[in-house]
This record gives sequence, C-alpha cells and structure tokens, in this order.
Amino acid sequence: MSILKKAKKAYDSIEIPQELDYVVNRTIHENKLHKKNELKIWMKGATVTLATTFALFVVILNTNESFAKAVEDLPVIGRIAEVFTVREYKEENETDLIEAKIPAIKNTGNSDLENRINYEISSKINEVLDEAKQRAEEYKKAVLATGGTMDDYIPTQINVDYKITYQDEKLVSFVITKSESSASAYQEQYFYNVDIENGKELNLRDVLGENYKKIVDDSVNRQINERIQENENNIYFTADEGGFSGIENEYQDFYINENKKVTVVFQKYEIAPGYMGIQNFEIPNDITV
Amino acid sequence: MAHVAREVLIEYVKENQEKLYRIAYTYTKNQEIALDVVQEAITKSLGNINQLRNEEYVKSWFYRILINEAIKASKSNIYFVEYNSVENEIHSNSHENEVVEKLDIYKAVQRLDEKLKTVIILRFFEDLKIEEIAYITKTNLNTVKSRLYKGMEEIRKSIERRNI
Repeated sequence: MSILKKAKKAYDSIEIPQELDYVVNRTIHENKLHKKNELKIWMKGATVTLATTFALFVVILNTNESFAKAVEDLPVIGRIAEVFTVREYKEENETDLIEAKIPAIKNTGNSDLENRINYEISSKINEVLDEAKQRAEEYKKAVLATGGTMDDYIPTQINVDYKITYQDEKLVSFVITKSESSASAYQEQYFYNVDIENGKELNLRDVLGENYKKIVDDSVNRQINERIQENENNIYFTADEGGFSGIENEYQDFYINENKKVTVVFQKYEIAPGYMGIQNFEIPNDITV
Repeated sequence: MAHVAREVLIEYVKENQEKLYRIAYTYTKNQEIALDVVQEAITKSLGNINQLRNEEYVKSWFYRILINEAIKASKSNIYFVEYNSVENEIHSNSHENEVVEKLDIYKAVQRLDEKLKTVIILRFFEDLKIEEIAYITKTNLNTVKSRLYKGMEEIRKSIERRNI
C-alpha cells in the first residue's frame, strides 16, 4: 500500500497545463450552443416522467393494504372538487420505478355509477401497470441475457396521471395518461366522460346527436387541411397510408374541454407520423348534454 | 431531468478538471493528448446527457466516458508518445531520491495493462469504491478485486526488478 501511496504522490503532482481551464470552459461553452437539441431532449424527458407516474397503479391494486395507506383525498375547492378522490401509488425496485395518481369519483349521489366507473378505472390501470411491469421485466432479462449487468439496466419508469378537462354539476370529463420509459418511450391515454345526473358514460352520439359521425368527420377533415396549409411541416397520412378516413363509431376517443366542446383525440401514429404527436380536434358544435 | 443532469455534469467537470486531466495523462503520457481526451470526454458526455437517468451517477458515468476516450487515444498515439516527458511534468520539493522513487512507481502504474491500470488509478489515486469501479468498468466486484491484486503484484515486481 505504501508503494501506491508514493505513486499517488507522483500522480497528484502531475503538472496541470495552463490551458486546461480554458479548454474545459470553451468545450462546455461550445456544447451549450446545442441548446436547441437539449431542449428537445429535455422535453422528451419531461414527457417520460409524466408517463412514469402511471406504473405505480398496478402494484397498488395487488397490495391493497399499502395502497389503502397511500389513498389520499384530493383537496379541491367547491362542489366540483368533491367529486374526485385520488389514490397515489409508488413503487421502486431494481426493475421499475412506478408513480401513479389514480383518480376515482365520489359524492355523486350515485354509488352504482361510482362503483362501476371506479372499478373500470382500477381494472384498466391494473392491467396497464401489469403489462408495463412485464415489459420492464422482459427488458431486464434481455439485458442480462445478452451479457449486460444490472449496471447496464436502467429501471423502466412508469407514470400514471390524470387531468380533469371539464367539470360541472352534471358532467365530468377527464383523461388518464400512462407513460413508460424503456427502450421505446410511449404514452397511452384513457378518456372518461361521465353524465353524473343520469349515471352513465357518454359517447359521441350522446353529446353530438344522431348526426355525430358527419359532424366529426367534416370538422376533422377541415382542420387537417387547415393545419397542412398553416405549416408545411404538418404532415398527415393520406387515407391510403392509413390516415384519417372518418371515425369508426361513437366510441371514438374524446373529452370535453374547458369551453364545454367535444375534443376528438387521435393517438400518436394513428393519423400522422410520430413527430406530430397526439392529435386533438375541437368540434365547434354545442354539446347536447 | 437531462436539464438538471447537464448542470450537475458541468459543475462536476469544472470542479474536478485537474483530477480528470491527471487520469487522462496517466493513460496518454502526453500533455496535448491528455487535453484532447478531456475535451473529447466533455463533448461526448454533454452530447449524450439524456442517456444518464440519474444525476447521482454523473461522476461514475463521466469516468467511464473519460477512461474510454483515454484508452482510445493512448492506443492510436502509441508510436509518438514521449515517455520521458513525465519527469518534466512532475514537481516535488522533496529529496531527489524520493522523487525518483515516486516517479518510478508512478511509471510502473503507467506501464500496466489498461485494465489493471484503470482499477489501480480509480482505487488508489481517485479513492473510488470497488462498487463504483465495477460500474465504471462494466465488470463485477470480484473482477475488480482480482485486477487490483494483479496490478499491485505487477507494480511490486517491476520495482523489485529495478532494485536488483
């Protein structure tokens, strides 16, 4: 050991060239010029983090006790706030990192409705978290099987979060978003539009009437054309390429936005290349609920 | 997160630039090349900062990049590296004999095979934990330990040879 101590003394007295400080600072500065790139990466990172929140859920449902402890009422102001309650779930192990905020509705005066919707959300999130955990497990196995070590494996971040897009005494609309960061980060959204008064989940026919398909198809087609004309970088698949060719039925994804308008949603890749992201179209017609 | 990680990395590099240079120098044995290695490692790490998932690992992660660059450079420049420049670049106020001895040991470290050299530098010069070294070298604890042992053996042998 003392041999090496001597060597360390020699090592520590290696002369530091005067230019070092300059070289280091200039290199850092030059690489700051790529800030645009960095922002992009950072945004991606932010999305991934958002997604990560979702994963926690699956575990929660399976481990009821710890889950129950994590259950928290969301403090909200006024009547609207009381309708939502949030369960938070966190899990961290060597395979994955889950953070989930799972909404449930309450105090609607219709416990059947609450049970049904909350059960639906729970099952959905459980299923989604199970799948995500399985993917993380498979990914870990693949890393280890190909000669990697646990140091090469970055735990998959799974994120579940929700957003209330519209709420009044009769109607509540919210979206749950799940994200995962693994080799390919991706995101999924689940939409809930609930008629509290009548105790049912709403579809497009309920909110736009019998003529819902023509209303949506015309509006989406018009807006796609507008967006293409606005910016040549806006690209949508043609109908031949699997682009938009009219909605299939009244169960098309949508939410009610803060203007109380229907907003139809197409997931990434659904009607446009991946870089276009999730596509939203507000339908100007008043809703009939 | 990459945003935070970037700030952490920049701060780390600025604060530890002398350490980083010494590591690079121990591989390249040449001032110019060592500076290049440091520069290259900074550029690479900033460019790939999004691969770093946890800024707590900034140090280990940067070491890994730096050492890879240093090994790469020492290989490609193997023919025109000046071994004897070391003496000029090491200062000491102590007695000449001691200086010579320290230098000899240091040179013995420099002459080690890369794998052995890396663990010796990180463990004894940089004072890293075995676990960190395993992470940086993408090996496991036992491999690191056995390389440390072998490295020490070789240094001792090379000192003994000189003393005969």
